[in-house]
Amino acid sequence: MIKLNELNTLPVPTFRWLRVNELAIDDEIDFEARPYGKDFLQMAPQGELIQRQMPYNGLTDRPIMKDLMDSAGFGVSEDLVGFADTFHNSGMYIEIPRGIKVTEPIMVGYKPDSDNPTVIDNNLIIAHEHSEVTIVMDIASSANASAVHNGVTRVVAKEGAMVTVIKIQRMNDSSFHFDSNLALVGSGARVDYIVAELGSKKAAVNYTCRLSEGAQSHINTIYLGNGDRHLDLSFLMEHQGRRSTSSIEARGALRDMASKTFKGTIDFKKGADKSEGSESEHVLLFDRTVKSISVPLLLCSEDDVKGQHAISSGKVDQDKLFYLMSRGFSRGEAMVLLAEASFSDVIDKIYPKSLEDLIRAEISGRLLHGN
Amino acid sequence: MVELERQDNYIDDINRELYDIRDEFSYSYKADKGLTPEIIREISGKKNEPKWMLDFRLKSLQIYNELDVPPWSPDISDLDIDNIVTYVKPKTDMKISWDDIPDEIKDTFVRLGIPQAEHESLAGVGAQYDSEVVYHSVRQYLLDQGVIYTDMESAVRDYGDIIKKHFMTCVPPRDHKFAALHGAVWSGGSFVYVPKGVKVDIPLQSYFRSNAPGAGQFEHTLIIVDEGAFLHFIEGCSAPKYSVNNLHAGCVELFVREGARLRYSTIENWSKNMYNLNTKRCIVEKNGSIEWISGSFGSRVSMLYPMSVLKGEGASSEFTGVTFAGNGQYLDTGAKVIHGAPYTTSTINAKSIAKDGGVAVYRGIVKIAPRAHHTKSTISCDSLMMDNNSRSDTIPVLDIRNDEVDIGHEAKIGRISDEAIFYLMTRGLSESDARAMIVRGFVEPIAKELPLEYAVEMNNLIRLELEGSIG
Amino acid sequence: MERALLSVEDLHVAIGEKLILKGMNLRIDKGEVHVIMGPNGAGKSTLAHILMGNPRYTLVRGNMAFEGQNINSLKTDERARLGMFLSFQYPEEISGITLENFLRSSKGSITGKNPSVLSFYKGLKEKMSGLGMGEEYAKRNLNEGFSGGEKKKSEILQMLVLEPKLAILDETDSGLDIDAVRIVASGIREYMDGEHSAIIITHHRAILDYVKPDFVHILLNGRIIESGGAELIEIIENKGFDHLRESAKSGV
Repeated sequence: MIKLNELNTLPVPTFRWLRVNELAIDDEIDFEARPYGKDFLQMAPQGELIQRQMPYNGLTDRPIMKDLMDSAGFGVSEDLVGFADTFHNSGMYIEIPRGIKVTEPIMVGYKPDSDNPTVIDNNLIIAHEHSEVTIVMDIASSANASAVHNGVTRVVAKEGAMVTVIKIQRMNDSSFHFDSNLALVGSGARVDYIVAELGSKKAAVNYTCRLSEGAQSHINTIYLGNGDRHLDLSFLMEHQGRRSTSSIEARGALRDMASKTFKGTIDFKKGADKSEGSESEHVLLFDRTVKSISVPLLLCSEDDVKGQHAISSGKVDQDKLFYLMSRGFSRGEAMVLLAEASFSDVIDKIYPKSLEDLIRAEISGRLLHGN
Repeated sequence: MVELERQDNYIDDINRELYDIRDEFSYSYKADKGLTPEIIREISGKKNEPKWMLDFRLKSLQIYNELDVPPWSPDISDLDIDNIVTYVKPKTDMKISWDDIPDEIKDTFVRLGIPQAEHESLAGVGAQYDSEVVYHSVRQYLLDQGVIYTDMESAVRDYGDIIKKHFMTCVPPRDHKFAALHGAVWSGGSFVYVPKGVKVDIPLQSYFRSNAPGAGQFEHTLIIVDEGAFLHFIEGCSAPKYSVNNLHAGCVELFVREGARLRYSTIENWSKNMYNLNTKRCIVEKNGSIEWISGSFGSRVSMLYPMSVLKGEGASSEFTGVTFAGNGQYLDTGAKVIHGAPYTTSTINAKSIAKDGGVAVYRGIVKIAPRAHHTKSTISCDSLMMDNNSRSDTIPVLDIRNDEVDIGHEAKIGRISDEAIFYLMTRGLSESDARAMIVRGFVEPIAKELPLEYAVEMNNLIRLELEGSIG
Repeated sequence: MERALLSVEDLHVAIGEKLILKGMNLRIDKGEVHVIMGPNGAGKSTLAHILMGNPRYTLVRGNMAFEGQNINSLKTDERARLGMFLSFQYPEEISGITLENFLRSSKGSITGKNPSVLSFYKGLKEKMSGLGMGEEYAKRNLNEGFSGGEKKKSEILQMLVLEPKLAILDETDSGLDIDAVRIVASGIREYMDGEHSAIIITHHRAILDYVKPDFVHILLNGRIIESGGAELIEIIENKGFDHLRESAKSGV
C-alpha cells in the first residue's frame, strides 16, 4: 500500500496549523501495476545516442547507477519513487556520448485510456561531458478515462553538458498525477526544466536539482487551476558547489474553487560560495473562492552568496478585463488572453511549436467554460 | 468602569476559522514528573488568587501535559522539559548576589553606560528598584487621565472582572505547550487599560516597574486600548537581563478596540543562557492599528512571532523587526498576520544578521481569510550573513483564500558587498567603521522607531556585538 | 624638480588573471587638471580604482606615490585621508545612513575631528544649493533611489565637502543630460581653484567645455599612447580613437 499522507514534504518544517509541511491525499487511487500497452516514444533522433525503452535490463551494469542510488531524498515521496523504480511499465533510458549535440528533441507522449489507465514511467537521462539534448514529455488522458500517472525522471548532466527537459501535463479532471524529478548537475553543466502543469484532479510534482561547481539550473513553470482541482508544486535548488546559479520562475492562474501550494526552496549549502539563486512567483486570481498558498524558502549556510525571492498575488486587473470585454470578448475569453499574456514567456520557450498549440488549447479549454 | 463586552465568542470564532487550532496538535499525554497540581496550588495560594484563576491554572497544567513540543522548533533538548519544575517553583530561598552575575553582563552594563545604581536591579538582584519613584509619578499622571497601569497580581485582585474576561483569551493555553505552561505558572507582568479617546502622550515602559524575585520569567502582559485611544508601550530594556533560571515563557495579550492605536516596542536582550519561548498576540478591531517594533539580540534560543489578528474592517498591522544572532545563538523569530476582515492591511519588515556561528531564522505567516476581501499585505525579509560559519533561513508562508487581494513578498539574503565597503573606505572610513556603518544602516528602520535613548543603546549593542568579530 | 602630487611609474594592473594596465606612467602636480580619454576597455576605470586601492584589482608591478609617499600598500581609507578622492562611475547605494550623517562621519574621519553639527549643515546646504540639490537630499539615505544624475551630483557634493587634494572623476559626466553636465561641471570648476588637482576620466567632450584641462592623455590598451594639451581633444573629436590606434601601431 502506498502512503499518500506525507507528500512533497517541506525541506524545513514550519507551524503545523498551516498544514503546509506536507500534502495528504485521501482519495482512493488505484495504484495497480498493470502494463501500459501503447507506444510512447514519438520522435527519436538518429545518431550516436543510446535509447532504450524501459523496463531495460542492462541498467544495473552501468557504473553511474551507484551515484544515482546514493542520491536518495528527492521526489514526491519515497514510496512513490520506490514504486516507480520497482514497478514501472514505461519510460526511457537515454545516454548521450561525450561531445555529442543532439539537435532534434526526443519526444515522449502518453495518453492513458480506459484500457491502459496507468502510466508508471521511469526515466534515466545521462548526458556525458559537453553533450547536449532536449527531451519533451507530454502526458494527456482520454476524455473518459480515470488515469493514474506516477513518474520518476533522473537526469545526470556531466561536466559541461546541457540538458533541457520539457514536461507538459494536461490530464483530465478524474486523473491523478505524481511526478518526481532529480537532476545531478555536474560542474559547468546546465539542466533546464520547462514545466506546464495544466490538468488532473490532483497533481503533486517535485523537482530537486543538485548543483556542483559552476553548474546552472533554471526552472520555468506555468500552472493552471480550475474547478476544485488541487496542485502541489515543489521545487528545490540545492547549491552544493561554488559559483552555481539557479532560478525558479513560476506563473500561475487560479479560478473557481481551485487550490495550489507552491513550495520553492533555494538552499545554499556550505561550500557554495559565490553562488546565486533567485525565485519568483506571480499568480493571477480569477475568483473569490480560490486558495493560493506559497512557501518560498531561502536557506543559507554561506555568506558570499546572493539569494532572493519575490512573490506577488492579486486579483486580475479589473480594468484590463473590462477593456477586453468592451472589445467583445466574453469574460472567459478575456481570462484566456490575460493568462496567456502572463504565461507567454514560458510558452515561448516550449518547442516544437506544435506543443505550443496543445498548451494554448488546454488553457482555453479550462478557462473558457464555466462562468 | 467602562463596559467591556464579553470576548469569548468571537475569540472562539477566530480560533476556529482562522487558526484552525483545535486539531493542530498530536497529543502525547505524559504526566509531568515535576510539575504537579500541588505546586500550582502553592503558587496560586501565595498570590492569594481567586478560585477562577486557580482553576484556570490547573486546567492549563492539564493541557500542558497533553501537548508536545512542536517538531519544527529549534533544538531545546538542553531544556529539561521533563523536569520543568526546576524552572517553575518559586525559589523563596534563592539569593543571587552581585558576584554571581557573569562578567560579560557586568561588562556590558558598564560599556552601555548604565549607571552603577541600576546595575543590580537590572540584574534582578535588588528587591527594590531605584526607579520606583519614577514609576509612581508616572502612575499618578496616568491615573489623572483614567488610565490603569498596574502589575498583574494586583489587577487580578482589583480588576477581577476585566481580567477574567480577557485573560488568555487572545492566546489560549491550547495554543502551544509553552502557552499552556504559562497559563499554569504565570507570575508578574503588567496590566494597562487606556479609556476611550485617551491618548497617552508618553511611552509607558515596563522598565520602570519593580521586579519581584522570579518575575520576568513567566510574566503576563495584558493591555486594552479602548476606542479611539492611543498608547505606546515599551517592554523590557536593552541591558541584558540575567536570571539563573534559563526559561522565559512570557505572554503578551493586546486588545486594540475600534479606531484605537497601539505601538508595542521591545528590545529583548536576555542573557545568552536563556530559552526565550515567548508568545505575543494582538486582536485589532475595526479601523484599529497595532505597530510592533521588535529587536531580538539576546538569549540562546528564541522562538518569537508576534501575531496580529485583524478582526475588524479596516484594521491594520505593521511589524518592524531586527534579529541579531551571534555565537551560540539560535534566534527563530518572525511575524504572523491573520487578515480576518475586509479592507485590512499589513506590513512586515524583518531584518536579520547572523555572525560567528549564530543562526537567524525568519519564520512567518500571512493568512488571508475568505471574507477578507480588499486586503493588502507587503512583506519584506532581508538577511545579512557576516561570515560563513553562520546560518540564515527564511521560512515564510502566504496563505490566500480570496481574490480581492494585493500581496507582495520579497526576500533577500547575502553579505555586505565588497564594493560598498570600498566605496565607504574611499571616503576615509576604516574597514571596520565601514562595516559598522552598513550594519547600522541595515537596522536603521528599527532604530528610528525607538525612543532616542533606546536607539542609542541599540546602536551601542550592535557596536559591542560587531567588535567581537571585527576587533 | 618639485615633488609631484601624484606620480605613477610603470603601472601594471590585473583583474583576476587579466592584465589591464600594461605599463603606465603619469605625473600630476598641484593645481593641474589632467584628462584621460580612451575607448571602452582601455583601462580608464582600472586606473581610477587601483589609485584608490580597490582590492578587486591586483597591482602586478610599478609604483604609485602621493606627495612623495609610496602608497602601493596603503589601505583605501588611508589614501582618502592623504587627500585622494574618487568620484565613482556607479556610486553605491547605502541604506539607513543619511547623506548628511555619512558626510559628517566621513569628514570627521578624514580631518581627524568631528565637525560641529550646525556649521557643517550650513556649509552642506550652501554646497547643495550650488549643485541644484534640494535640502531634502541631506536627509535621504546615501544614493538610495537617486537617479543617475542625482548620484553624480551627490559624488561632486562629497568632493566639495571633503576637499581632497586630488580628485579622480571616473566618467562623472556619462549618462547626464546637458543641464546636469553643466551643473556638475560648475561644481568641478568651483573646486578647481589652482590649489586642487584632478584627473577627469571621460569619453565625451561636453564637460571639457566647462573645465579646461592642462594635459590630455590618450589611454589605449593599457598604456598612454599620446599626451598633449587641449588640442588632442579636437583630434579625437574629428578622427576618433581608431586614427590614434593606427598611428600608435605604425609608431611601434
